[in-house]
This record gives sequence, C-alpha cells and structure tokens, in this order.
Amino acid sequence: MLALTIMNGMVMGLIYALAALGVSLVVGIMNVVNFAHGELYILAGYFSFLFADTLGLHPAVAILAAVALVFLAGLVIEAVLIRPTYGNDMYSLILTFILSIVLQNAYLLIFGPYPRKPPLWIPGATNVFGLFFYGNQRLAALFAGIAIIVLVFYLVHRTWFGLIIRAASQDREMAQWNGVNTTRLNMLSFGLGCALAGSAGVILSPVFPVTPTSGVPVALTAFVVVVLGGMGSLKGCVLGGLLLGLVENFGAAYLSTGYKHIFGFIILILVLLFKPAGLFGRKEA
Amino acid sequence: MRKWSVVIGVCVLGLLCASGAVLAEDTIKVGVVGPRTGAAAATGTAFQEGIKIATDYVNAHGGVLGKKLEIIFEDTAGAPDVAASGFERLVTRDKVAMVLGESHSSSALAEIEVANRLKIPFIVSEAWADPITAKNYKYVFRAGPSNSGVVNQTIAKWVVTEKFKKAYIVAENSDWGLGIAALTKKALDQAGVAYESMVTEQKSQDHYTELTKIKEYNPDVILAFVYGTGLHYFVAQAGEVQLTPKAIILDGAGPPSIWPDFWKNVGNYGDKECFVSSMHEKVELTKLATQFREAYVKDFGKQPSDYKSRSIFDTILIAADAINRAKSTDAEKLVQALEDTHLLVTRGVVQFGKQAGGPEYHQWMPPMLVIQWQNKEQVVIYPPDAATGKMVR
Repeated sequence: MLALTIMNGMVMGLIYALAALGVSLVVGIMNVVNFAHGELYILAGYFSFLFADTLGLHPAVAILAAVALVFLAGLVIEAVLIRPTYGNDMYSLILTFILSIVLQNAYLLIFGPYPRKPPLWIPGATNVFGLFFYGNQRLAALFAGIAIIVLVFYLVHRTWFGLIIRAASQDREMAQWNGVNTTRLNMLSFGLGCALAGSAGVILSPVFPVTPTSGVPVALTAFVVVVLGGMGSLKGCVLGGLLLGLVENFGAAYLSTGYKHIFGFIILILVLLFKPAGLFGRKEA
Repeated sequence: MRKWSVVIGVCVLGLLCASGAVLAEDTIKVGVVGPRTGAAAATGTAFQEGIKIATDYVNAHGGVLGKKLEIIFEDTAGAPDVAASGFERLVTRDKVAMVLGESHSSSALAEIEVANRLKIPFIVSEAWADPITAKNYKYVFRAGPSNSGVVNQTIAKWVVTEKFKKAYIVAENSDWGLGIAALTKKALDQAGVAYESMVTEQKSQDHYTELTKIKEYNPDVILAFVYGTGLHYFVAQAGEVQLTPKAIILDGAGPPSIWPDFWKNVGNYGDKECFVSSMHEKVELTKLATQFREAYVKDFGKQPSDYKSRSIFDTILIAADAINRAKSTDAEKLVQALEDTHLLVTRGVVQFGKQAGGPEYHQWMPPMLVIQWQNKEQVVIYPPDAATGKMVR
C-alpha cells in the first residue's frame, strides 16, 4: 500500500503540476488568471479524440495537431478577449470565466454529454518491482509530463525567449524600454500557456476521458497548485503539484477515501496561513 | 382618421391577444426537470429522447383533455439550488399542471419541498433516495426505482443467489450513493454476507488508492455505487490494478455501463462487468416496450440504450393518464387520480403504494434486471425468470 501510495501520489502530483504550468506561466508574465484554462485542456482532449479516433490519424500526429490548434486558439483568445482588457485584471478574469461557460456549452452541443477518450498509447498494466500493477498509459503520461516540464524549464531558464519572459515578468516597463515588444510577448505567452493546457489534455485524456464539464476540476486543481507553489513560480508549481498529489493519496490511503480533496485544501489553508505568498511566491514590494 | 386607426389598431391587438390565449389554451402543459448540462447531462439527452416519443404517442392517442400535451423541460444542471428554482419557474411562470422527471436524488430532495409548498403534483422518474417518498408528501410520487427497492428486491438477492462470500461496497458521497450503501450493508448483514465498505468522492477521477485497499480485502464482488464517468474510470482502473476479473463489479446504477463510449473508455476491462438496469436490448416485458423501441429506432436511427429515456416515457404516460381520468388539472383531483392509477407502461403495471409511514408511500417500483457483459453482449443473469444466461466469472 505504501509503495503504491507514494508512486501514485507522485504521478498524480506531476499530472497536477503539468495542468497548472500554463496557468502559472500566464499569471507570472501577464498577471492574467485564465479561468478557461480547464476548457482548453478539454479542447485538446477532444481534438486528440477527433483526430485519432474519428479521423483515424496516428496518435502522435493527432497529439501534435491538437496542441498546435489549442496554441492557435490561445493566440486568438489573447488578441480578441484579453488584449483589450490590459490594465484591468478583473475584466480579463470575468471574460475568461464567461469563455469557460461558453466553451462548456459548445462542447456539449458538438461532442455530446458522454465521455470521450482518445486511444491509449500503450494499453495494459506493468508489474512495478513485483509490488503492484500500474497502468501503462499512466506511466507514459508520467514520462511525457516530465519531458514537457523539463522543456518548459529549459525554455524559461536557458533560452533568449525565456530571458525576455523573465525580464518582462520582473519589470514590464523596463523590458519595454529595452525594446521588448510586450504586446507580441503577451500573445505568445498566452498561446504557450494554452498549449501547455493542451499538452496536459492530450497526455491525460487517454487516462481520464473528457466530458464538457470535466475541465472545471482540472482548472480548480491547477489554481490550488499555483497558489500553493506561489503565483507565477514554475518551480513552486511543480513542487506544489507533487505536494498536493502526495497529500491527497496519503490522506486517502490512511485517513479517508471519501474526502480526498479536502486534504489538499487543508494543506492550502496551512500554507496560506504561514506563507501567504505560497511556497516559492514573490513577496509584494 | 387617426382616431379610427387607433381604434382599429387596438381591436386588432385585442384579437391577436385573444387568439394567442386561445392558442395557449390548446395545450396542457406539463413540466419535466432533469440535468441537461453538468456532469450528468447524458440523462438530459435520454430524457429529451423519451419526451419526444412520449409526446408523439400521447398526442397520437387523443392528447390530454382533448388538447395537445406540451412538455416544458427545465435544466437542473444536477444542482439542488438550480433544481428548486427551475421547478418553481415551471409552476409559477409556465403554469404547468404537473412536474415530472429528475434523476439526481439531491436535486429531487430540494424539488419535493417546492412541490409540497406550491401544492403541485410531482412524479419522480429516476432519483432513487428513499427519503423522496419516505417523507410521505401528499403531492410527491415516484414511478421508478427506490434505493430500498433496488437493494432488497434485486442486489441483495442476486448476491445471495450467486453465492458471493465477500463483498466490497463502494459508494460515492451523494444522497443516492450514501443511501443505497447504507441499505446494502443492512441487507448483507441480514443475508450473512461478509463485506467491507468505503466512500469515494463523487468527482474523483483517480481510484487507484481505493482499488488497492479493495484488492487487499480480496472480495468476490464489488458493489459500485458510482455514477457517470466515474464508473468508467472505476472499471478501467480496477482492470489496470488487476482487481478484475477475479472480482466481479456490479454497477449499481446501470446507464453508464451502456453509454455509447463505454467500451472505448474501459477497453476489455468491461468484460464480465455486471449492471443493474430496467431495460435490456432484447428482453421486453410488455408490448408497449416493443412499441417504444420501434418508435425510438424510427426517431433516432439507433437502438435505445440509456433506460432513462424509457423511464421518462413511462412517467409522461402516467401523467397523461391521470389528467385524463381526473378530467381536470386541479392538483387535488390529480393526486386522487394518481393514487388510483392502474396503467400498463413499458415496465409493467403502475400502481402507487398508499400505505403511509415508509418509502413505499406513493411509490411504484419497476422490476429491475442484473445484466452482465459477456464478450460485449448483454446477458440477463437475474432474476432467474427473466435470465437469458448464467453469470460468467
């Protein structure tokens, strides 16, 4: 039981971190909370289902096409909905909230109420060190998730684009004076945040089939992870996700399965009480 | 001239209003409540299909009180507060004669309070929690399964018949899940079957920890009271952790096991899974059930699968019959007519219980089947008189 609890806690934690990474990136750079993040995750799941299952494309092609389309959707959303609201965070919050409701209803209309699942990459389960059986698709999701997280960290900390992102997130005005086109940066960052939501969607939808409303708990968990780790901190996002995954699984294994998500909220309250900026959050100047 | 124009205009307007009133009176309105959005939106789809077939059927057979039957569907989104306000809107805004439907026990428990306050007859179709009828409200009826009926008449007897020695009860934390789990424990205690139980979160996607606990207990049967997509997660993950097929899973609600993408979502892990249902793709209890299936195929170009489309069909027929026998839409007369109901529907003859004091009051319990997936074919395994095969382990 202990081995499974640790393993599953870490897998679920990385999954949570992956789902939250896009939120954290957008909050860090643009100070915009995208309430439709969960629906973009679902959109990628639906695209992946549509391309791989309905059109019969190779799963890898379906995944890449789905993420690319969600990235494009992100660019359009930024240009049409977010850009006119710069300077007023509340407007973007309300607009993305409305967008999430519109998207949920659109999915219901287009894809119907039933759960949809793209084909598994690797069916079956593996006996892990003779201790327990674990779904192959979950293991694949774990490795794909780690790869994407590493890629994002590399992009942010080791590339010219990452340098611009970090500069803009620290002092937008100064970055602008140094020649950074912040409008274009915002658009790309928002698109990247949406693509990360999409990546999480394509990786996880074969494990957890998507429905029109299943983005709501995804977004809620992502927001919890972001607050737990510290708004805008990618490192905090990963550690926050892992902490949440482990706490939930240990709580369910040794305390109560009926209130699994309560344990996560208890941790959140404790962190906010003793470290209001989150585990790796920046203190307000 | 201008004066005459005004007079003529007013007269035309008056005539239009009058004709509108006449048109409005050409129908008898009945409300239906159910989740068209939210996590259980699939039920709303099934309800809409059943409503279409029932309305066509009733209106083709003379309508109600010589008028057309008109159904107004109010979306409850599976949320008790939305359900209560939607119910009230149907009564106060739409002036419906009666309200039918619902599939969420939590929503139904909110709605029966409104029905009782506004004194409007309410026939529940698919919300199973016992308190819905156990409260013994005069205006509340249920033409569908109750938790105690399903447990005592079907699940507990099936567990004994199949000689299961150890059971594990898994219940989602909803009014339905917790209620049916408590009744199942009581029934298994009486039957002398050993069991363990746990509560799981209704919206949980990951069940690995729960399933590992269940595996440690090594049960013969898992009685899963988990609804919706959660059931698909549960069945697929039970297969992944190798809990099944050694243990047999019984889906204690039914419809999710026959949703269109069930097999895509659970893969081969769905084989040997059992589920409770009031409908089988081939076994039809009455002639009307055959008529329903034929009409369904004609209207939607596929076979009916979610039995909730047939439940709402039956409920609408019961309502239409009561209005016709009451010869009125007066609530008191409708209650009397409903109490005197003796009507053949797709699932048998409806007669509501009149004995006050328990959940049997104003309750009609349709017969339920236990069906097993065997190589993607539905095989009725319980009750013995309806069985089309034996359970495979």
